[in-house]
Amino acid sequence: MKSVASVSKKEVKKQSLSLCGKKVKIIMKKIFAIAWKDAIVRFTSPSELLFFIILPIVFTFLLAGGTPSNDDDNRIRIPVVDESQTAVSQQIIDELENSTAVRPEVVTRAEAQSQFDDRRADAVFIIPAGVDIEALQNGSAQVEMLQQPSNLNAGIAQRAILTAIRRVSSSVSAAQNAVRQREAKQAFASDAEKQAYFESSLTLAQDIQADAPERVTVIEGTTPDRVNYDPRANSSAGQLITWVFIPLFGISALFASERQGGTLRRLLTTPTTKATFLLGTISGQVAMALIQMFLLVGFAILAMKLNWGRDPLALFVILLASALAAAAFGATLGTFIKTEAQASGVSIMFGMVMALMGGCWYPLELFPTAIQSAVKVLPTTWAMQGMLDLVLRGGGLVDVLPEAGVLLVFAAIFLSVGVSRFRYE
Amino acid sequence: MLKLLLIGIKDLKLMFRDRAALIFMLLAPFLLTIGMGFVSGRFSGGSTGLSDIPVVIVNLDQKELGNALEELFNSADLADLVEPTASSDPEAARRLIDSDQASAAIVIPQGFTDSVIPAEGTTFDSTAVQPAPVQIEVYANPSRPTGAGIIKAIVDEFLSRVEEGRVSGTTSLVGLMQSGLLNPQDVASEAQELFANVDESESTAITLKTDTQGAEAVEFDLLAYFAPGMALMFLMYTVSYGGRSILAERSQGTLPRMLISPTSNAQVLGGKVLGIFLMGVAQVGVLILASSIFFQVQWGDPLGVLVLILAAVFGATGWGMLITAFARTPAQVGSTGAAVMLIFGILGGSFMSLENFPPFMQTLSKITPNAWGMDGFVTLALGGTLKNLTEPVTALLIMGALLFAASVVLFNRNGIAQQ
Repeated sequence: MKSVASVSKKEVKKQSLSLCGKKVKIIMKKIFAIAWKDAIVRFTSPSELLFFIILPIVFTFLLAGGTPSNDDDNRIRIPVVDESQTAVSQQIIDELENSTAVRPEVVTRAEAQSQFDDRRADAVFIIPAGVDIEALQNGSAQVEMLQQPSNLNAGIAQRAILTAIRRVSSSVSAAQNAVRQREAKQAFASDAEKQAYFESSLTLAQDIQADAPERVTVIEGTTPDRVNYDPRANSSAGQLITWVFIPLFGISALFASERQGGTLRRLLTTPTTKATFLLGTISGQVAMALIQMFLLVGFAILAMKLNWGRDPLALFVILLASALAAAAFGATLGTFIKTEAQASGVSIMFGMVMALMGGCWYPLELFPTAIQSAVKVLPTTWAMQGMLDLVLRGGGLVDVLPEAGVLLVFAAIFLSVGVSRFRYE
Repeated sequence: MLKLLLIGIKDLKLMFRDRAALIFMLLAPFLLTIGMGFVSGRFSGGSTGLSDIPVVIVNLDQKELGNALEELFNSADLADLVEPTASSDPEAARRLIDSDQASAAIVIPQGFTDSVIPAEGTTFDSTAVQPAPVQIEVYANPSRPTGAGIIKAIVDEFLSRVEEGRVSGTTSLVGLMQSGLLNPQDVASEAQELFANVDESESTAITLKTDTQGAEAVEFDLLAYFAPGMALMFLMYTVSYGGRSILAERSQGTLPRMLISPTSNAQVLGGKVLGIFLMGVAQVGVLILASSIFFQVQWGDPLGVLVLILAAVFGATGWGMLITAFARTPAQVGSTGAAVMLIFGILGGSFMSLENFPPFMQTLSKITPNAWGMDGFVTLALGGTLKNLTEPVTALLIMGALLFAASVVLFNRNGIAQQ
């Protein structure tokens, strides 16, 4: 009797396991069917491709690829008017050429004024006639600058110009100081001797200046190779998040459309749970988002030569976590919104505002400190942080785990709200 | 004319009843303007939102120049811009940067001052005036490029003054030695005197005069750039929303039904266009009014603002009609309109100044009402009046007229109202 009982228990266990397996299979089939249906619905209109790949690439190119890389000259262009045509004026222009901040472009005064008036130039630098060594000696040399108001580039250009004229005039000042020191010890016999002393001091000062050693070294933090900051990497990551989050927030439009069309109600006649439906919708959209992300990353790597691929596993983890958080947010949004028109407008609005505030368009450091702390409630902030860890800091899986963890917590919270609020009608 | 007006006002009423559309047309640009205000420092009083840049200073030099640099970062002049923290461990400072706790670390190595100012008792060799370079290290945070750049600029400026002082002191010393007025045994004490306050050198041989008569004299409000940028971008959505209503009425049959009444084809289309135009004027007008009330944005000459709004909406309506004329379904107008809105937004300078784009992009931007509109709004904000708006207003009117003409041809060919 005992052995019969144990056999039947084993049988029951086996049968229940196979039943369980069948159930899981059915659920998986349902999830796949829902995801596939959503993909077909989404790509019915060819215009979807516009938002899926064309616009993201255009924006990434314009905001990232269109901007010069470190290989190009990305210094601020300043039109320079040289009306002196002296060795001193040329020296000032040469110093500007050596600047890391500005790029001088010698033009006529009329051209410079026209560029300034049309706001095609942030600043204009004018060296009027008479800026020569004599003018420097008697302290009458004056140069001019026109600046566009409240313009950051104009402010940077002003600092660069001040540095250039300081470098040019410092040798004259040094020679003048040397003459004063000499006179304090012993008066010159004649003006000619004084002038000769000035000239030899000037030459010496210029030589010392020319041989001046570099006194500062800049090292980029936590980069495996000593690469400089590449603004294109920032733009590429930011645009990727913007263009992937907006359609994922658009899951709300899918819900609204099905609810309006009555197809959600129809699901009530089938043995499909809320969780299965939500999982199917979300997993389908996340899969499409991952394809979109990989296409954009591929574009960045191949067309823009950005280094996204140091750690593919870390990249996959952060992309997946970001997509899950955005999709869950879209699902939650879908439970608050009634019509498809409302959903598409609101999802674009949330996508754009969250991208801007999350540091996807401009580095977060530009925001006031209080705002930098406040925006930590946004998933875009963490997604951007994770991607910057990879693309700017050369981080690996361990480095992006904190951000991925926070994004998964976002996903869990939004999904719970979504499931609890979800109604078929 | 009355019919035209009635159809136009009907569409305007419908728009104000559509809460979803209103959120997108009014709330979205308003929120984005606020975000841009934060970035530009409009709400914190700077030229960027940057303030209190966290920087870690490791002063291993502990002598005159190292201390001077540390004091500079702690000075009242930089109090709003930087937030310095002192550290004695270079590795700990670098770790703070790696963990994104600060924008940059400055490591002033031991012997930095001595590499510039000859120490007491040093034998001065006039044939070897160059000291061994001891470099200050700026360890920059790559994810805070602007803050790190500013820290680097401050260090550069400090070193530039130091270098000036060094060149001046060394030139005097060498000159005196070569003239036989300085004994080798007196060089060290003379050097101490000549190199005193080396970091405070200031050459005044050339003075820089910045323009205070022209543009700089005007207080330019950055929101007067960003607010119209966002308003004009979302204006493109509004005009396509209006265009969508034409196709929606056609598919619902209300458009052909109007033709049963004694209303001509031209009157129906004219009324719809007027409706779109009124929607655009209402949207931009509300946004401009809201930014004046909430952010005290100074828009400039009111008559100029009004004329510019009308011209910009006219140009944008032309684009809305052209998109509608090409589309077959309301959904097509919606998606194409949203795409055009974003493309024109970026091309027109809503996201970043056109100056940052290559020349061909700047030329291409001229096809957008956004670029001309922005040009006009900036002119007004800089103190211009209606008479300074001739170019942008003319361009917008020509743009609108050409696009209307093209749309009418397409509408006639497709028989929009007959179907």
